[in-house]
Amino acid sequence: MKTRLLALGDVPPRLAEAVLAGLPRPYTGGEVGRLEIALGRCYDRTRAQVDAACLIEQIPEPGPGWLLLGLTGVDLFMPALTYVFGISHLGGRRGIVSWFRLHPEETGPSAQTILIRRITTEVVHELGHSLGLVHCVVPECAMHRSLWPEGVDLKHPEYCPACLETLTSSL
Amino acid sequence: MTMPVRILVVDDEQHIRNSLATWFREEGYDVSVAASGKDALAAVAREGTNILLVDIKMPGMDGLELQRRVRELAPDATIIIMTAYASVETAVEALKEGAYDYIVKPFDPEAVSRLVRKAAERYSLLAENRALRERIVGASPALITSGSPAMAKVMELVDQVAPTDTNVLITGESGTGKELVAHLVHAKSTRRFGPFVVENCGALAEGVLESELFGHERGAFTGAVGRHRGKIEMANEGTLFLDEIGDVPPKVQVDLLRVLQEHELKRVGGNEAIKVDFRLVTATHRDLEAEVAAGRFRDDFYFRINVFQIPLPPLRERAGDVPALAKHFLQQFANQMNRRISGFSPDAMAALVAYPWPGNVRELANAIERAVVLCRGDRIEANHFPFAGPPASANLSLAAVEEAHIRQILAACSHNVAQAARELDIDRVTLYNKMKKYGIERP
Ligand SMILES: [Zn+2]
Ligand SMILES: [Zn+2]
Repeated sequence: MKTRLLALGDVPPRLAEAVLAGLPRPYTGGEVGRLEIALGRCYDRTRAQVDAACLIEQIPEPGPGWLLLGLTGVDLFMPALTYVFGISHLGGRRGIVSWFRLHPEETGPSAQTILIRRITTEVVHELGHSLGLVHCVVPECAMHRSLWPEGVDLKHPEYCPACLETLTSSL
Repeated sequence: MTMPVRILVVDDEQHIRNSLATWFREEGYDVSVAASGKDALAAVAREGTNILLVDIKMPGMDGLELQRRVRELAPDATIIIMTAYASVETAVEALKEGAYDYIVKPFDPEAVSRLVRKAAERYSLLAENRALRERIVGASPALITSGSPAMAKVMELVDQVAPTDTNVLITGESGTGKELVAHLVHAKSTRRFGPFVVENCGALAEGVLESELFGHERGAFTGAVGRHRGKIEMANEGTLFLDEIGDVPPKVQVDLLRVLQEHELKRVGGNEAIKVDFRLVTATHRDLEAEVAAGRFRDDFYFRINVFQIPLPPLRERAGDVPALAKHFLQQFANQMNRRISGFSPDAMAALVAYPWPGNVRELANAIERAVVLCRGDRIEANHFPFAGPPASANLSLAAVEEAHIRQILAACSHNVAQAARELDIDRVTLYNKMKKYGIERP
C-alpha cells in the first residue's frame, strides 16, 4: 500500500514533505503530489467556508493499493457542523486535512514545529478513517477525536497497539 | 465485539443527513438515516434505534409529531431535536414533551459530540466499559498481566477508588507505571467517556507550568499572542493527571488548591471565571510527607490531593514478576523489529532476575529493546545486557562507580536529562557537567 499526500491548490513549499516525513508505519515510503482543485465549486458564501464533503469528491478515486490524502489551508465545514479539521471516506482510502484551525497561537520557530506535528497527527487520523478505523478511547492514540487544536497536541502521530492491530489485520 | 449504539438521523435535507451520519460513524456508532418522519418510524420499528436526531422542521410529519409517535413505539429511545436558530421555541416545547435535549444548527463539533456521548452512555455503560478495558489492557499489558500479588493489590485499590470522584495520589519510583495506573483510574471511573489529560509538572518552569495548566489570554505575557486553553480546561468532565506533583512550586500549589475548592479558574491574564469539573489524579516519586515537614510542600494542598493513596512497589520488591515481564517485552520488541528471537538463555534470565532495576519496569523495557537490537542469534544472551558484564569489582574508583551509575540512570530514563537529574537528585547543569566529564553522549 502506498500513500500520496496531495497539495490541494496553494500549499507552502516543503509543508507536505515535512508531514510525509513524520508519518509512521504503514504510511512510510509515500510520496507528495499536487492536485488543482475548483475551490469555488465548494465555497459557501454565507459561511465563508469550504464544504468538506464537496471538496473530497474532487480527489479522484485511488487506484488499487493507493491511499490519497489532500492537504489544504482552507476552513472546512460539514453542513451540520460549524467546522471540521478533516474528513474522509470511511474505508474509502481518500481523505482531506485542513490546517486552517490547527495554527498554534504562539509565533516563532516553535510554532511551525507544533503546526507540522498537529497536521501530521490529523493526517494519521484521517488516513486511519480512510482505512476503516473509527475513533479510539486511548487519549494518546491518533484515532482519538480532537475537538480543539490544543487537543491534537495531547495525541501522538501514531496509533495505539489496539488500533494498529485492527489496521494491520485488515490490510 | 460489543453492540454499538444505534443512531438514526432524521432530516429532509440530504446534506445534513449524510454529514451527520459520517460524523457519527467515525465515532463508532451504528448509523442510519431517514428523510421523513414516515421512513423514521419504519426504521425505528425495524432496527431498535437507541438515539434519534430529529430535525424539527420537516414537510409532512414534523419533528414534534414524530417525537410523539416514537415515544409510543419505542419508549426507551432517546430523542435529540435539531433546530435552526429561528425555531428554538418549538424545541423547548419538544423538551417539555420528553425530548432529551435540543441542539441548534450548525452544531459545534464539541457540543454535539458531548451531547451524543452523554445520551449513548445510557445504552452502553457495560459494553463500552468492557471495550475500554480491553483497549487499556491491550495498550499496556505488562503492568496488569504480570499476575503478581503486589500488582493484584494495586489493582484492588484502583477498583476501589475509581468509581468514586475522590482525588488520588499515586506514589512510587520512576518507571513503576504511575501514569498507567492513573489511566486505569480514569478508565474505570464514570468519567471514562470524558478526556484524560496529562501534564508533567516536573519538566516545566513555573511561568510555563502556570500557563500550561490554567491557559492564558491574549497578551497575558510577552509571547502570549493568542488565547490558549489550559490543561485543566481541557480535562473538563474528565480526569486531570498531574505527574511529578512534588515539583510544583508553592505559588502554583495555591492556584491549584483554589481551583479544587471553587471548581472554577481564571486564565493567566484573564478575569472571566471559567467553571471546571474534573477529577484530579496526581503522582510523585518524592516523599511528600517529608517535603511537607521540610516546608517545601504546602500541607493544605497535600491534604487535598492525598485523599486516597496508591503506592506502587519498585520492581526489585517483586523480582518474581521479572521473567513474565521480560518475555512480554521480548515478544513486543521482536515483533516491532521483525526479528525471530525465541527467548532468553538461562544466564540471561538469571542476570535479569538478579539485577536491582533502579529504573523499574521502564528500565527493563529499555534493556530488552536494546538486547533485541544487539541480538544476532535466536535467543538473548547475558552479554546483551549492559549490567551483566563482569561483576562490578570492589576495586573500582569512586569516579568509575559514579560514571556507571549515571549511565545506568540515563539509560533507564531514555536519556531524558531532566528526568535523570531528578532521579539522581542533582540539578541539570551538574548532570550535564558530569556527562561531559565522563564523555557520555546522548544517542
Ligand atoms: Zn475522526
Ligand atoms: Zn487507538
